[in-house]
Amino acid sequence: MKILIVEDENSLRDIMVCSLEKERYVVESAADYQGALLKINDYDYDCIVLDIMLPGGNGLLLLEELKKMKKKDSVIIVSAKDSLEDKVKGLDLGADDYLTKPFHLAELNARIKCVLRRKQQDGEMDITIANITMYPDRHAIYIDGNQLILNRKEFDLLYYFVTNPDRLISKTALAESVWGDYIDQADNFDFIYSQVKNLRKKLKAAGALPEIKAVYGFGYKMIYEER
Amino acid sequence: MRLRQYTLRNLSVPLLLILSAWACAFYITIIREINEETDESLTNHKMLIIKAALADSTLLTDHVDILTQYYIHEIPPAKADLSKDVFFDSTRVVPLEMISIPVRGLRTCFRTSDDKYYELTIITSILEKEDMVRATVIGLAILYFSLVFCILLVIHLVFRKSLHPLYVLFDWLKKYRLGKTNIPLRNETKIEEFHILNEAIEDVVRRNTKLYNMQKQFVENAAHELQTPLAICINKLELMSENPDCTERQLSDIASLHQTLSGIVKMNKSLLLLSRIENRQFPETSRIEMNKLVSGIQENLDEMYEHKHITVTVKNSAQLFTTMNESLASTLLTNLIKNAYIHNCQDGIIQITITAHTLTVANSSNAPRLNASTLFDRYERQSRHKESTGLGLAIVKSIAALYEIQVEYNHDKQLHEFKLTFK
Repeated sequence: MKILIVEDENSLRDIMVCSLEKERYVVESAADYQGALLKINDYDYDCIVLDIMLPGGNGLLLLEELKKMKKKDSVIIVSAKDSLEDKVKGLDLGADDYLTKPFHLAELNARIKCVLRRKQQDGEMDITIANITMYPDRHAIYIDGNQLILNRKEFDLLYYFVTNPDRLISKTALAESVWGDYIDQADNFDFIYSQVKNLRKKLKAAGALPEIKAVYGFGYKMIYEER
Repeated sequence: MRLRQYTLRNLSVPLLLILSAWACAFYITIIREINEETDESLTNHKMLIIKAALADSTLLTDHVDILTQYYIHEIPPAKADLSKDVFFDSTRVVPLEMISIPVRGLRTCFRTSDDKYYELTIITSILEKEDMVRATVIGLAILYFSLVFCILLVIHLVFRKSLHPLYVLFDWLKKYRLGKTNIPLRNETKIEEFHILNEAIEDVVRRNTKLYNMQKQFVENAAHELQTPLAICINKLELMSENPDCTERQLSDIASLHQTLSGIVKMNKSLLLLSRIENRQFPETSRIEMNKLVSGIQENLDEMYEHKHITVTVKNSAQLFTTMNESLASTLLTNLIKNAYIHNCQDGIIQITITAHTLTVANSSNAPRLNASTLFDRYERQSRHKESTGLGLAIVKSIAALYEIQVEYNHDKQLHEFKLTFK
């Protein structure tokens, strides 16, 4: 899997590269419009993470160029502009997703995975880890082939863990991804604690092999030890 | 009140006064003139009669005809005052019609050559004053109303023609929306005042638009410039936390840093939202059914605060429709309803009541009555919640102000109640 990161801010670019390399992707990067245009011309990528505000040109222009070349690269726009117009414009131009800065690395990872899966499998999208298989499109989950019934939020939580196995996920990132805008004033993350507790109980009862481990004070991590 | 009506009203009262005063003066002048003329003719008559009587003593008798009557009778010399003519007003009964008509008379004395004194009384009929007054009043009323009507007509025509550019300008201003693409003002006029007004308004609008755009740009730039460094900090911490060599102590430090940074991100976003609302950067509006929106938000929050075991009752006594920006409507209700969850006590209650024009959110809480005068201010924290940005109710207030929604706070029967009243 080849990923291109187009981002002008050096530290942020390095962090993204480093984080994605951990997921065993081949990651390349460009710091400006011209550099990105050269790379897009010369190579095919599975996914391009594109910042809109770039020195030398607008990221949206790059997206237009890409579509002119009739390339099938998936594009995730990353922007500091949290404006609806830009979002709509980006998605209209053929971007697959839109992420607002600042984001969590786990969130970026989940979005990239989702985009890549959609691209690879034209039919049903499923994601499997050990004996857990999830079908996000129809909200179904199977453990060893037996269906497990979860409520909506528990499903979203599990999906986030499954797309980020072995990654330490902060409570903030979890809350933001599952509850979205509702989170900005919430108290103490008690609700995360109680939801994760329920989820763990249900997973254990159903005999799921991967386990959600609490990391004191920080968040959670889904681990799976192969036996 | 339209300018037309206002002008007419201001004209009609003075006009009435002026016309009344003029009528009085007219009446007095005419009456005086008539009296003078009558007196003069009576005096002439007197001279003629006396002259004739002196020449021919057979004429020293009473005389009555339709127009003039005179009576002559002898008086003792002591009573006679030759130097004085006395004029008087009286009435006379017309024998055939049995009505009395006003008359004017002249009483005088003269002496014949045989030293006899006679008193002469001449009476002549004059105009009826009452008829005169009535005619004057009727004429005046007709004049007044026709004048008012004519003025109305003239005002209407003049206003329509000469104030046309003003009304064009009004229409344009009414349609003008800051932050949206507006049609340019097309208002050709030869009148200099309107030309100046047009230019002044176009200038103001141009400057306003420029300021608006500058502010919008500043807000966006501020967001960009802050969000990127924040992203770097947060993501670097996340990378660090993934290092397996991290001790629990280090992880806990990282977690607290991470949470503080997330707080800054939220605050930044909330402040940006506030400036955007206050800059009116949400021009798109649509018709929204609040009942549906409330139930969606409430369901989401219910799942989130499951652990608090709060009982929520939603009473929809009518459908509440309002026209506003969809995302702002959602932000408004989310902030309000979420507050009811956050500041609630364990096993508490929330009551949401929706009527055709109001939306009320009431919640139980351990907190005492809040200070309503500062409740909606920025950074006004009335609770111990450290995760709160202190901007939630400020956002509620500024959205409400944007759409002229009234927000009230009440504390009744241990319930904190927020009431939105829509226009």
